[in-house]
Amino acid sequence: MKILVCLKQVPHKDARLDIAGHGTWIDDANLKFEINDYDNYALEAALRIKDAGEAEVIVATIGPDRVVQSLRTALGMGADRAVHVKDEALEGSDSLGVAKSLAAIAAQESPDLILTGLMSDDANYGLTGPMLAELSGLPHATGIVSCEHAGESITVERELEGGALEVVELPLPALVTVQTGMNEVRYASLKGIMQAKKKPLETKSVADLGLQASDVAPKVTIEKIYMPPKGEGAEILQGSAAEVSQQLVTKIKELGLL
Amino acid sequence: MSKTLIVAELQNGAPREAALELITQARGLGGELVSLVIGSGVAEAAEDLAKRGGGRVLAADDAALADYTSGAYAQAIRRALDQESPDLLLLSNTPIGWDLAGKLAAALDAGVATDVVRIEQEGDDLVFIKRMFNAKLDSRLRVTGSPRIATVQPGACEAYAGSDAGSVESLDVSGCGSRTVFKELRTAAAGGHDLTKADLIISGGRGLQKPENFDSVLKPLVEALGAQMGASRPVVDSGWLPHEYQVGSSGQVVAPKLYMAVGISGAIQHLVGMKNSNFIIAINKDADAPIFEVADLGVVADLFEIVPALTEAVSAAKGG
Ligand SMILES: Cc1cc2nc3c(=O)[nH]c(=O)nc-3n(C[C@H](O)[C@H](O)[C@H](O)COP(=O)(O)OP(=O)(O)OC[C@H]3O[C@@H](n4cnc5c(N)ncnc54)[C@H](O)[C@@H]3O)c2cc1C
Repeated sequence: MKILVCLKQVPHKDARLDIAGHGTWIDDANLKFEINDYDNYALEAALRIKDAGEAEVIVATIGPDRVVQSLRTALGMGADRAVHVKDEALEGSDSLGVAKSLAAIAAQESPDLILTGLMSDDANYGLTGPMLAELSGLPHATGIVSCEHAGESITVERELEGGALEVVELPLPALVTVQTGMNEVRYASLKGIMQAKKKPLETKSVADLGLQASDVAPKVTIEKIYMPPKGEGAEILQGSAAEVSQQLVTKIKELGLL
Repeated sequence: MSKTLIVAELQNGAPREAALELITQARGLGGELVSLVIGSGVAEAAEDLAKRGGGRVLAADDAALADYTSGAYAQAIRRALDQESPDLLLLSNTPIGWDLAGKLAAALDAGVATDVVRIEQEGDDLVFIKRMFNAKLDSRLRVTGSPRIATVQPGACEAYAGSDAGSVESLDVSGCGSRTVFKELRTAAAGGHDLTKADLIISGGRGLQKPENFDSVLKPLVEALGAQMGASRPVVDSGWLPHEYQVGSSGQVVAPKLYMAVGISGAIQHLVGMKNSNFIIAINKDADAPIFEVADLGVVADLFEIVPALTEAVSAAKGG
């Protein structure tokens, strides 16, 4: 079985976000980056299938040189090889441009299963997976929290609202997007990290994928990104920890809860 | 003149709130409104939607559409698109909406904006306003495509409350099918930790940093106040607390007399689970955290200083 995991590198969850001078994205010059949380769970799901039997796990991502770090981490966790798509044509690309590039990789690799995260923690679109499925002619399910593989199909639980789950069976090849909490994500071991250095990592351009810049031109553009306007907001308490606590106690008493 | 097609989701055989919100969004843009209702035995729901402002309602009624599958639903929507050629297609940002939006956009080679909170008309163009970075930033998006596609965040606007003499037509959806097979719906086993009846809930988020801190930092305050403990999703995802502690769109929806959010940023999926609380106190070291927008009282400080101090003050108040 061949599994393709598409992952994205995003700013670290605790990074301070500043808007770049052009006003259309954050200033990412001095940020710390990490693998998108949802994608970590997707990778772990793939590695568990690998652990349970015969599978090759390929990780793919798109982005500038810094994303190689995330691919190395994924290889350190147990993926077998990596594909890095790097091209100026993909700077400022939208989900569809990304999905078209990934679809070209999928066409070259013919995986039995493609896994991605439900969405990315930066733009929060949640589109790459379903788009990639459509472009690759695959059935898909989004936001899964479990996956059982038996023969030529997988059975997954999709998370709905309020704790409800939908059980769906998909014939392979198929694509699923993973919700956080699906499993317990492993860390790369020291041995894994050492081995990762020797694992194959290919870099490809848009042309290597058989695409032209015009194929991945965006249909969605961010005109502006900005701090949300502040509404009324909360009354912010001032003072030392002890003073603030006194004020909170007064309020809790007023509410009749103390 | 522009034309909007909305996909109106049903719940227990009637249009769900989010569907009526799509009507509000579409009507706000003017032009012609067409609504699509998909399922099996949906005639009544379609009539209902027509009376509640859905405009011209297309009923995609077929046994093969009884349960949601991405393949069959996408085909039904494409039949409606072929027939109507709208300029804008709106879906709700729900498990159905986010399953379909990307698939349709890729099939139609169209631009799509997801989880939009507002759509503005600007000259001949539309601007889609969307939260990014888990509500920490806002963005204005331009979308090209025929149609343009967007999913709208549930609760982002009021449900359309007017009445109307709309009409219902049936849409031919024979032969729609899917390779994904719907098996069953499951409800996650209800745990013993029912937060919906609690008067006072103190929830901890990723800001607590590690599982031990729930016991050593948060629990003493919870016990001193006789409160119930809740949590945000990452806490549950990481296995620090069981799912029955989770508050939010995929956990419990609560409305206690007092809700305290400790080290929780205030992503929309958490807010929908607690924003109707009678009173909200937030403790977060980031003054820009979105949680302060829904809170009544806020403390911008390190929770590891405030929570122990508050626990002490509560104990003193009880002793005195
Ligand atoms: C389909 C779907 C369903 C979801 N359902 C839910 C749900 O039901 N419930 C839910 O909660 N989320 C849900 N989420 C996840 C949601 O989007 C957020 O990721 C999550 O709510 C963030 O949790 P958090 O606020 O604890 O973590 P973060 O967003 O990481 O916030 C942590 C906060 O802690 C603060 N902090 C850190 N250290 C300190 C300190 N020492 N003192 C004070 N403050 C500190 C930080 O400033 C930050 O604001 C869902 C997401 C999706 C896509």
